[in-house]
Amino acid sequence: MASPLRRWLRRLLVGATALAAVTALAMPAQAGSRLLGTGGVTQIEGAAGGGLSPWGVLAGTASDTEVAVSVAASEAWLDDYGLRVRGIGVNWHDRVEVSYARQRLALDTLGGVLEQEIYGAKLRLFGDPLYHPWGSWSLGVQHKRLGRGQALARAVGAEATQGNDLYLAGSKLFFDAVAGRNLLANLTLRSTRANQGGLLGFGGDRDSGRSLVAEGSLGLFLTPAWVVGVEYRQKPDNLGFAEEQAWQDVFTALFLTRHLSLTGAWLDLGDIAGLENQRGGYLSLQLAL
Amino acid sequence: MYPISTRGYVAALLLAWALSGCAGAQPQPAPTLYQKLGGEKGMHAIVEDFAYRLADDPELVAFFANTNIDYFVNSLQDYLCVISDGPCVYRGAPMDKAHQHMGIHEADFNRLVDALQATLLDQPISASARNQLLKRLAAQHAAVMRYQ
Ligand code: HEM
Repeated sequence: MASPLRRWLRRLLVGATALAAVTALAMPAQAGSRLLGTGGVTQIEGAAGGGLSPWGVLAGTASDTEVAVSVAASEAWLDDYGLRVRGIGVNWHDRVEVSYARQRLALDTLGGVLEQEIYGAKLRLFGDPLYHPWGSWSLGVQHKRLGRGQALARAVGAEATQGNDLYLAGSKLFFDAVAGRNLLANLTLRSTRANQGGLLGFGGDRDSGRSLVAEGSLGLFLTPAWVVGVEYRQKPDNLGFAEEQAWQDVFTALFLTRHLSLTGAWLDLGDIAGLENQRGGYLSLQLAL
Repeated sequence: MYPISTRGYVAALLLAWALSGCAGAQPQPAPTLYQKLGGEKGMHAIVEDFAYRLADDPELVAFFANTNIDYFVNSLQDYLCVISDGPCVYRGAPMDKAHQHMGIHEADFNRLVDALQATLLDQPISASARNQLLKRLAAQHAAVMRYQ
Protein backbone atom coordinates (compact mmCIF):
# COMPACT_ATOMS: atom_id res chain seq x y z
CA MET A 1 0.00 0.00 0.00
CA ALA A 2 2.82 2.38 0.85
CA SER A 3 4.57 2.22 -2.49
CA PRO A 4 1.53 2.62 -4.80
CA LEU A 5 0.46 5.47 -2.56
CA ARG A 6 3.82 7.13 -2.92
CA ARG A 7 3.84 6.59 -6.67
CA TRP A 8 0.35 8.04 -6.93
CA LEU A 9 1.23 11.05 -4.84
CA ARG A 10 4.34 11.66 -6.92
CA ARG A 11 2.48 11.47 -10.20
CA LEU A 12 -0.24 13.66 -8.78
CA LEU A 13 2.27 16.19 -7.58
CA VAL A 14 3.92 16.47 -10.97
CA GLY A 15 0.57 16.92 -12.68
CA ALA A 16 -0.67 19.32 -10.05
CA THR A 17 2.43 21.46 -10.23
CA ALA A 18 2.29 21.68 -14.01
CA LEU A 19 -1.39 22.59 -13.95
CA ALA A 20 -1.03 25.05 -11.12
CA ALA A 21 1.78 26.75 -13.02
CA VAL A 22 -0.34 26.98 -16.17
CA THR A 23 -3.25 28.27 -14.11
CA ALA A 24 -1.20 30.92 -12.38
CA LEU A 25 0.56 32.09 -15.52
CA ALA A 26 -2.07 31.86 -18.19
CA MET A 27 -5.41 32.53 -16.55
CA PRO A 28 -5.03 34.46 -13.31
CA ALA A 29 -8.62 35.69 -13.32
CA GLN A 30 -10.36 32.62 -14.70
CA ALA A 31 -11.73 31.22 -11.45
CA GLY A 32 -15.50 31.31 -11.35
CA SER A 33 -17.46 33.49 -8.97
CA ARG A 34 -19.85 31.08 -7.28
CA LEU A 35 -19.21 30.47 -3.61
CA LEU A 36 -16.44 28.03 -2.87
CA GLY A 37 -17.56 24.42 -2.66
CA THR A 38 -20.92 24.98 -4.34
CA GLY A 39 -19.71 23.07 -7.41
CA GLY A 40 -18.83 20.05 -5.30
CA VAL A 41 -15.86 17.97 -6.35
CA THR A 42 -15.44 15.40 -9.14
CA GLN A 43 -17.31 12.15 -8.53
CA ILE A 44 -15.94 8.82 -9.75
CA GLU A 45 -17.78 9.07 -13.07
CA GLY A 46 -16.37 12.51 -13.85
CA ALA A 47 -19.43 14.66 -13.09
CA ALA A 48 -19.53 17.40 -10.48
CA GLY A 49 -20.76 15.84 -7.28
CA GLY A 50 -19.52 14.17 -4.17
CA GLY A 51 -17.30 11.13 -4.39
CA LEU A 52 -19.93 8.63 -5.53
CA SER A 53 -22.93 10.63 -6.72
CA PRO A 54 -23.43 13.36 -9.30
CA TRP A 55 -25.03 16.49 -7.85
CA GLY A 56 -27.49 19.04 -9.22
CA VAL A 57 -24.75 21.67 -9.56
CA LEU A 58 -22.20 21.95 -12.37
CA ALA A 59 -18.42 21.68 -12.18
CA GLY A 60 -16.24 24.39 -10.71
CA THR A 61 -17.52 27.81 -9.71
CA ALA A 62 -18.47 29.23 -13.12
CA SER A 63 -21.52 31.52 -13.29
CA ASP A 64 -23.61 32.63 -16.25
CA THR A 65 -20.80 34.51 -18.00
CA GLU A 66 -17.94 32.17 -17.14
CA VAL A 67 -16.37 28.88 -18.16
CA ALA A 68 -14.73 26.51 -15.70
CA VAL A 69 -12.54 23.51 -16.32
CA SER A 70 -11.78 21.01 -13.60
CA VAL A 71 -9.50 18.01 -13.62
CA ALA A 72 -9.36 15.39 -10.93
CA ALA A 73 -7.29 12.41 -9.94
CA SER A 74 -8.85 9.96 -7.51
CA GLU A 75 -7.80 6.71 -5.97
CA ALA A 76 -9.58 4.17 -3.76
CA TRP A 77 -7.83 1.45 -1.82
CA LEU A 78 -10.26 -1.36 -1.06
CA ASP A 79 -9.63 -4.73 0.55
CA ASP A 80 -9.40 -6.67 -2.71
CA TYR A 81 -9.45 -3.93 -5.33
CA GLY A 82 -7.84 -0.67 -6.24
CA LEU A 83 -9.74 1.96 -8.20
CA ARG A 84 -8.13 4.82 -10.06
CA VAL A 85 -10.09 7.57 -11.77
CA ARG A 86 -8.94 10.44 -13.93
CA GLY A 87 -11.58 12.94 -14.89
CA ILE A 88 -12.07 16.24 -16.61
CA GLY A 89 -15.16 18.44 -16.70
CA VAL A 90 -16.02 21.66 -18.45
CA ASN A 91 -18.76 23.94 -17.21
CA TRP A 92 -20.11 26.36 -19.81
CA HIS A 93 -21.94 29.32 -18.28
CA ASP A 94 -23.29 27.26 -15.42
CA ARG A 95 -25.72 25.75 -17.91
CA VAL A 96 -24.02 22.72 -19.47
CA GLU A 97 -21.33 20.44 -18.14
CA VAL A 98 -19.48 17.95 -20.31
CA SER A 99 -17.12 15.48 -18.73
CA TYR A 100 -14.90 12.56 -19.45
CA ALA A 101 -13.56 10.01 -16.99
CA ARG A 102 -11.40 6.92 -17.15
CA GLN A 103 -11.78 4.30 -14.47
CA ARG A 104 -9.29 1.56 -13.87
CA LEU A 105 -10.11 -1.18 -11.39
CA ALA A 106 -7.21 -3.42 -10.38
CA LEU A 107 -8.41 -6.84 -9.24
CA ASP A 108 -5.72 -7.34 -6.61
CA THR A 109 -7.08 -10.66 -5.36
CA LEU A 110 -8.74 -12.09 -8.49
CA GLY A 111 -6.05 -10.85 -10.84
CA GLY A 112 -6.48 -8.63 -13.87
CA VAL A 113 -7.66 -5.13 -14.66
CA LEU A 114 -10.98 -3.60 -15.75
CA GLU A 115 -11.16 -0.30 -17.56
CA GLN A 116 -14.10 1.91 -18.36
CA GLU A 117 -14.55 5.22 -20.14
CA ILE A 118 -17.41 7.53 -19.25
CA TYR A 119 -18.63 10.41 -21.40
CA GLY A 120 -20.93 12.65 -19.44
CA ALA A 121 -23.18 15.62 -20.06
CA LYS A 122 -25.28 17.51 -17.57
CA LEU A 123 -27.80 20.25 -18.24
CA ARG A 124 -28.86 22.57 -15.44
CA LEU A 125 -32.62 22.83 -15.82
CA PHE A 126 -33.27 25.60 -13.31
CA GLY A 127 -32.40 27.02 -9.95
CA ASP A 128 -29.45 27.77 -7.80
CA PRO A 129 -28.26 25.95 -4.69
CA LEU A 130 -28.14 29.20 -2.68
CA TYR A 131 -30.85 31.44 -4.05
CA HIS A 132 -33.66 29.26 -5.37
CA PRO A 133 -36.06 27.86 -2.77
CA TRP A 134 -35.87 24.45 -4.48
CA GLY A 135 -32.14 24.53 -5.11
CA SER A 136 -30.45 23.65 -8.40
CA TRP A 137 -31.79 20.83 -10.60
CA SER A 138 -29.99 19.16 -13.46
CA LEU A 139 -30.54 16.37 -15.94
CA GLY A 140 -27.54 14.22 -16.79
CA VAL A 141 -26.47 11.38 -19.01
CA GLN A 142 -23.43 9.14 -18.75
CA HIS A 143 -22.37 6.99 -21.66
CA LYS A 144 -20.17 4.19 -20.36
CA ARG A 145 -17.97 1.86 -22.37
CA LEU A 146 -16.08 -0.98 -20.88
CA GLY A 147 -12.59 -1.37 -22.32
CA ARG A 148 -10.35 -3.99 -20.80
CA GLY A 149 -12.34 -6.63 -18.98
CA GLN A 150 -15.21 -7.13 -21.43
CA ALA A 151 -14.66 -10.87 -21.36
CA LEU A 152 -14.85 -10.92 -17.60
CA ALA A 153 -18.09 -8.92 -17.61
CA ARG A 154 -19.62 -11.38 -20.06
CA ALA A 155 -18.31 -14.33 -18.12
CA VAL A 156 -20.11 -13.22 -14.95
CA GLY A 157 -23.38 -12.82 -16.82
CA ALA A 158 -23.48 -9.23 -18.06
CA GLU A 159 -25.54 -8.67 -21.22
CA ALA A 160 -23.68 -5.68 -22.60
CA THR A 161 -20.38 -3.92 -22.31
CA GLN A 162 -21.73 -0.44 -22.78
CA GLY A 163 -24.66 1.44 -21.37
CA ASN A 164 -26.23 4.78 -20.69
CA ASP A 165 -27.20 6.14 -17.30
CA LEU A 166 -29.77 8.92 -17.10
CA TYR A 167 -30.19 10.94 -13.96
CA LEU A 168 -31.98 13.85 -12.40
CA ALA A 169 -30.12 15.54 -9.55
CA GLY A 170 -30.97 18.35 -7.17
CA SER A 171 -28.76 20.23 -4.73
CA LYS A 172 -29.77 22.76 -2.13
CA LEU A 173 -27.79 24.65 0.46
CA PHE A 174 -29.58 25.27 3.74
CA PHE A 175 -28.08 28.26 5.54
CA ASP A 176 -27.60 28.24 9.30
CA ALA A 177 -28.95 24.68 9.43
CA VAL A 178 -26.90 22.73 11.97
CA ALA A 179 -24.96 24.47 14.76
CA GLY A 180 -25.07 27.66 12.69
CA ARG A 181 -23.41 25.92 9.74
CA ASN A 182 -24.68 25.55 6.18
CA LEU A 183 -25.87 22.14 5.02
CA LEU A 184 -25.73 21.00 1.40
CA ALA A 185 -28.31 18.34 0.57
CA ASN A 186 -28.27 16.36 -2.68
CA LEU A 187 -30.70 13.93 -4.18
CA THR A 188 -30.16 11.97 -7.39
CA LEU A 189 -32.52 9.62 -9.22
CA ARG A 190 -30.81 7.46 -11.79
CA SER A 191 -32.01 5.04 -14.41
CA THR A 192 -29.30 2.48 -15.07
CA ARG A 193 -28.45 -1.08 -16.07
CA ALA A 194 -24.87 -0.85 -14.82
CA ASN A 195 -23.36 -3.58 -12.67
CA GLN A 196 -20.97 -2.09 -10.10
CA GLY A 197 -21.23 1.23 -11.91
CA GLY A 198 -20.51 -0.48 -15.25
CA LEU A 199 -17.19 -2.09 -14.37
CA LEU A 200 -18.97 -5.46 -14.49
CA GLY A 201 -20.94 -4.58 -17.59
CA PHE A 202 -24.62 -3.75 -18.07
CA GLY A 203 -27.73 -5.82 -17.49
CA GLY A 204 -27.49 -9.41 -16.37
CA ASP A 205 -28.94 -12.87 -16.14
CA ARG A 206 -31.03 -11.97 -13.10
CA ASP A 207 -32.32 -8.65 -14.41
CA SER A 208 -31.63 -7.25 -17.83
CA GLY A 209 -33.76 -4.08 -17.70
CA ARG A 210 -33.24 -0.63 -16.30
CA SER A 211 -33.55 0.07 -12.60
CA LEU A 212 -34.47 3.35 -11.00
CA VAL A 213 -32.11 3.95 -8.11
CA ALA A 214 -31.77 6.75 -5.56
CA GLU A 215 -28.62 8.43 -4.37
CA GLY A 216 -28.25 11.03 -1.68
CA SER A 217 -25.72 12.95 0.28
CA LEU A 218 -25.48 15.51 3.03
CA GLY A 219 -22.50 17.78 3.51
CA LEU A 220 -22.07 20.18 6.40
CA PHE A 221 -19.80 23.16 5.79
CA LEU A 222 -17.90 23.43 9.06
CA THR A 223 -16.26 26.48 7.53
CA PRO A 224 -16.92 27.98 4.08
CA ALA A 225 -13.97 25.94 2.81
CA TRP A 226 -14.34 22.69 4.72
CA VAL A 227 -17.19 20.24 4.37
CA VAL A 228 -17.84 16.87 6.03
CA GLY A 229 -20.63 14.52 5.09
CA VAL A 230 -22.11 11.20 4.15
CA GLU A 231 -23.17 9.66 0.84
CA TYR A 232 -25.37 6.79 -0.18
CA ARG A 233 -25.82 5.30 -3.64
CA GLN A 234 -28.31 2.57 -4.40
CA LYS A 235 -27.41 0.17 -7.22
CA PRO A 236 -29.19 -2.44 -9.31
CA ASP A 237 -28.55 -6.11 -8.59
CA ASN A 238 -28.56 -7.72 -12.03
CA LEU A 239 -26.04 -10.53 -11.84
CA GLY A 240 -26.89 -13.98 -10.56
CA PHE A 241 -23.34 -14.96 -9.64
CA ALA A 242 -22.85 -12.39 -6.89
CA GLU A 243 -24.99 -9.94 -4.97
CA GLU A 244 -24.50 -6.22 -5.28
CA GLN A 245 -25.22 -3.73 -2.50
CA ALA A 246 -25.48 0.01 -2.13
CA TRP A 247 -22.32 2.09 -1.93
CA GLN A 248 -21.80 4.46 0.95
CA ASP A 249 -19.15 6.67 2.43
CA VAL A 250 -18.27 9.38 4.89
CA PHE A 251 -16.22 12.16 3.36
CA THR A 252 -14.48 15.41 4.01
CA ALA A 253 -13.41 17.94 1.41
CA LEU A 254 -11.11 20.88 1.80
CA PHE A 255 -11.31 23.72 -0.69
CA LEU A 256 -7.80 25.04 -0.29
CA THR A 257 -8.23 27.73 -2.92
CA ARG A 258 -10.60 28.37 -5.82
CA HIS A 259 -8.22 26.24 -7.86
CA LEU A 260 -7.46 23.35 -5.57
CA SER A 261 -9.49 20.95 -3.47
CA LEU A 262 -8.70 17.76 -1.67
CA THR A 263 -11.27 15.10 -0.77
CA GLY A 264 -10.83 12.16 1.56
CA ALA A 265 -13.39 9.47 2.27
CA TRP A 266 -13.97 6.16 3.95
CA LEU A 267 -15.83 3.91 1.54
CA ASP A 268 -18.07 0.94 2.15
CA LEU A 269 -18.86 -0.55 -1.26
CA GLY A 270 -20.39 -3.80 -0.05
CA ASP A 271 -19.61 -7.04 -1.89
CA ILE A 272 -17.92 -6.81 -5.29
CA ALA A 273 -17.81 -9.83 -7.59
CA GLY A 274 -18.27 -12.21 -4.70
CA LEU A 275 -15.59 -10.69 -2.49
CA GLU A 276 -17.32 -9.45 0.62
CA ASN A 277 -17.32 -6.14 2.48
CA GLN A 278 -15.10 -4.01 0.30
CA ARG A 279 -14.05 -1.09 2.45
CA GLY A 280 -11.20 1.34 2.30
CA GLY A 281 -9.89 4.83 1.91
CA TYR A 282 -10.40 7.28 -0.94
CA LEU A 283 -8.42 10.34 -1.89
CA SER A 284 -9.16 12.79 -4.65
CA LEU A 285 -7.43 15.91 -5.76
CA GLN A 286 -9.16 18.42 -7.99
CA LEU A 287 -7.77 21.37 -9.86
CA ALA A 288 -10.09 23.99 -11.28
CA LEU A 289 -9.33 26.68 -13.79
CA MET B 1 -40.73 5.65 52.79
CA TYR B 2 -38.17 7.72 54.63
CA PRO B 3 -39.40 10.26 57.16
CA ILE B 4 -38.59 13.76 56.00
CA SER B 5 -35.94 15.32 58.27
CA THR B 6 -36.08 18.97 59.26
CA ARG B 7 -33.04 19.59 57.11
CA GLY B 8 -34.68 17.94 54.17
CA TYR B 9 -37.83 19.98 54.74
CA VAL B 10 -35.91 23.26 54.80
CA ALA B 11 -33.97 22.26 51.70
CA ALA B 12 -37.23 21.44 49.88
CA LEU B 13 -38.68 24.83 50.88
CA LEU B 14 -35.56 26.61 49.66
CA LEU B 15 -35.71 24.71 46.39
CA ALA B 16 -39.36 25.57 45.89
CA TRP B 17 -38.64 29.22 46.63
CA ALA B 18 -35.71 29.27 44.19
CA LEU B 19 -37.82 27.62 41.50
CA SER B 20 -40.73 30.00 41.94
CA GLY B 21 -38.28 32.89 41.89
CA CYS B 22 -36.89 31.70 38.60
CA ALA B 23 -40.33 31.20 37.16
CA GLY B 24 -41.39 34.67 38.27
CA ALA B 25 -38.42 36.45 36.67
CA GLN B 26 -38.90 38.15 33.31
CA PRO B 27 -37.90 35.65 30.60
CA GLN B 28 -34.91 36.99 28.65
CA PRO B 29 -36.00 37.72 25.06
CA ALA B 30 -33.83 35.87 22.55
CA PRO B 31 -31.30 38.27 21.04
CA THR B 32 -32.18 39.49 17.57
CA LEU B 33 -29.89 38.85 14.61
CA TYR B 34 -29.12 42.58 14.74
CA GLN B 35 -27.77 42.16 18.26
CA LYS B 36 -25.83 39.03 17.28
CA LEU B 37 -24.20 41.04 14.51
CA GLY B 38 -22.99 43.56 17.07
CA GLY B 39 -25.76 46.15 17.02
CA GLU B 40 -25.12 49.53 15.48
CA LYS B 41 -21.36 49.33 15.96
CA GLY B 42 -21.21 45.88 14.37
CA MET B 43 -23.40 46.96 11.44
CA HIS B 44 -21.23 49.97 10.82
CA ALA B 45 -18.08 47.83 10.81
CA ILE B 46 -19.70 45.36 8.40
CA VAL B 47 -20.84 48.00 5.93
CA GLU B 48 -17.52 49.83 6.05
CA ASP B 49 -15.46 46.69 5.46
CA PHE B 50 -17.85 45.64 2.68
CA ALA B 51 -17.59 49.02 0.95
CA TYR B 52 -13.81 48.70 0.88
CA ARG B 53 -14.10 45.25 -0.65
CA LEU B 54 -16.46 46.55 -3.34
CA ALA B 55 -14.02 49.36 -4.07
CA ASP B 56 -11.19 46.83 -4.40
CA ASP B 57 -13.04 44.66 -6.91
CA PRO B 58 -12.77 46.17 -10.40
CA GLU B 59 -15.78 44.22 -11.69
CA LEU B 60 -18.06 45.22 -8.84
CA VAL B 61 -16.93 48.80 -8.37
CA ALA B 62 -17.87 49.52 -11.98
CA PHE B 63 -21.55 49.21 -10.99
CA PHE B 64 -21.12 52.02 -8.47
CA ALA B 65 -19.50 54.49 -10.88
CA ASN B 66 -22.41 56.94 -10.61
CA THR B 67 -23.43 56.16 -7.07
CA ASN B 68 -23.35 58.59 -4.17
CA ILE B 69 -21.29 56.34 -1.91
CA ASP B 70 -22.15 58.10 1.36
CA TYR B 71 -25.84 57.76 0.63
CA PHE B 72 -25.42 54.13 -0.49
CA VAL B 73 -23.43 53.11 2.60
CA ASN B 74 -25.99 54.66 4.96
CA SER B 75 -28.90 53.16 3.07
CA LEU B 76 -27.28 49.72 2.99
CA GLN B 77 -26.64 49.91 6.72
CA ASP B 78 -30.32 50.74 7.35
CA TYR B 79 -31.35 47.90 5.06
CA LEU B 80 -29.14 45.34 6.81
CA CYS B 81 -30.39 46.62 10.16
CA VAL B 82 -34.03 46.15 9.17
CA ILE B 83 -33.48 42.75 7.57
CA SER B 84 -31.82 41.55 10.79
CA ASP B 85 -34.74 42.78 12.95
CA GLY B 86 -32.94 45.89 14.18
CA PRO B 87 -34.56 49.17 15.29
CA CYS B 88 -34.07 51.10 12.05
CA VAL B 89 -36.07 52.46 9.15
CA TYR B 90 -35.04 51.74 5.56
CA ARG B 91 -36.03 54.64 3.30
CA GLY B 92 -34.46 53.40 0.05
CA ALA B 93 -36.14 51.78 -2.90
CA PRO B 94 -37.38 48.18 -2.80
CA MET B 95 -34.77 45.69 -4.03
CA ASP B 96 -36.19 45.19 -7.54
CA LYS B 97 -36.50 48.93 -8.22
CA ALA B 98 -33.17 49.73 -6.54
CA HIS B 99 -31.32 47.49 -8.99
CA GLN B 100 -33.35 47.71 -12.16
CA HIS B 101 -31.56 47.74 -15.53
CA MET B 102 -28.09 47.62 -14.03
CA GLY B 103 -27.21 44.58 -16.15
CA ILE B 104 -26.29 42.49 -13.12
CA HIS B 105 -25.33 38.93 -14.08
CA GLU B 106 -25.37 35.91 -11.82
CA ALA B 107 -21.58 36.16 -11.83
CA ASP B 108 -21.79 39.69 -10.37
CA PHE B 109 -24.30 38.62 -7.79
CA ASN B 110 -22.08 35.73 -6.73
CA ARG B 111 -19.03 37.98 -6.55
CA LEU B 112 -20.89 40.34 -4.28
CA VAL B 113 -22.04 37.51 -2.01
CA ASP B 114 -18.49 36.20 -1.88
CA ALA B 115 -17.24 39.66 -0.88
CA LEU B 116 -19.91 39.93 1.79
CA GLN B 117 -19.05 36.51 3.15
CA ALA B 118 -15.39 37.55 3.34
CA THR B 119 -16.44 40.67 5.24
CA LEU B 120 -18.52 38.67 7.68
CA LEU B 121 -15.71 36.16 8.22
CA ASP B 122 -13.49 39.03 9.34
CA GLN B 123 -15.98 40.28 11.94
CA PRO B 124 -16.13 39.02 15.53
CA ILE B 125 -19.52 37.32 14.99
CA SER B 126 -20.69 33.72 15.22
CA ALA B 127 -21.02 31.37 12.24
CA SER B 128 -24.73 31.26 12.96
CA ALA B 129 -25.14 35.05 12.75
CA ARG B 130 -23.05 35.15 9.59
CA ASN B 131 -25.00 32.42 7.85
CA GLN B 132 -28.37 33.72 9.05
CA LEU B 133 -27.63 37.10 7.48
CA LEU B 134 -26.49 35.41 4.25
CA LYS B 135 -29.69 33.39 4.27
CA ARG B 136 -31.89 36.48 4.52
CA LEU B 137 -29.93 38.25 1.79
CA ALA B 138 -29.89 35.21 -0.51
CA ALA B 139 -33.68 35.28 -0.35
CA GLN B 140 -33.54 38.72 -2.03
CA HIS B 141 -31.89 37.27 -5.15
CA ALA B 142 -35.10 37.03 -7.13
CA ALA B 143 -36.04 40.65 -6.37
CA VAL B 144 -32.58 42.06 -7.17
CA MET B 145 -32.45 40.13 -10.46
CA ARG B 146 -36.08 40.80 -11.47
CA TYR B 147 -35.48 43.67 -13.90
CA GLN B 148 -31.97 42.96 -15.19
C1 HEM C 1 -29.01 40.44 -1.93
C2 HEM C 1 -28.29 41.23 -2.66
C3 HEM C 1 -28.31 42.75 -2.56
C4 HEM C 1 -28.83 43.56 -1.61
C5 HEM C 1 -29.55 43.17 -0.33
C6 HEM C 1 -28.57 44.93 -2.02
C7 HEM C 1 -28.95 46.05 -1.30
C8 HEM C 1 -28.86 47.33 -1.77
C9 HEM C 1 -29.39 48.50 -1.11
C10 HEM C 1 -30.13 48.49 0.22
C11 HEM C 1 -29.14 49.58 -1.87
C12 HEM C 1 -29.56 51.02 -1.62
C13 HEM C 1 -30.82 51.29 -2.41
C14 HEM C 1 -31.45 52.62 -2.08
O1 HEM C 1 -31.03 53.28 -1.15
O2 HEM C 1 -32.39 52.99 -2.80
C15 HEM C 1 -28.41 49.10 -3.02
C16 HEM C 1 -27.96 49.89 -4.03
C17 HEM C 1 -27.12 49.45 -5.03
N1 HEM C 1 -26.80 48.14 -5.31
FE1 HEM C 1 -27.36 46.55 -4.27
N2 HEM C 1 -27.91 44.90 -3.20
C18 HEM C 1 -27.73 43.59 -3.56
C19 HEM C 1 -27.09 43.13 -4.70
C20 HEM C 1 -26.42 43.94 -5.57
C21 HEM C 1 -25.62 43.48 -6.67
C22 HEM C 1 -25.39 42.00 -7.00
C23 HEM C 1 -25.11 44.57 -7.30
C24 HEM C 1 -24.20 44.65 -8.47
C25 HEM C 1 -23.23 43.85 -8.67
C26 HEM C 1 -25.63 45.73 -6.61
C27 HEM C 1 -25.36 47.02 -6.96
C28 HEM C 1 -25.95 48.15 -6.38
C29 HEM C 1 -25.72 49.50 -6.81
C30 HEM C 1 -24.82 49.92 -7.97
C31 HEM C 1 -26.46 50.31 -5.98
C32 HEM C 1 -26.54 51.83 -6.00
C33 HEM C 1 -27.63 52.28 -6.89
C34 HEM C 1 -27.64 53.79 -7.01
O3 HEM C 1 -26.62 54.38 -7.29
O4 HEM C 1 -28.71 54.37 -6.79
N3 HEM C 1 -26.41 45.32 -5.57
N4 HEM C 1 -28.27 47.72 -2.93
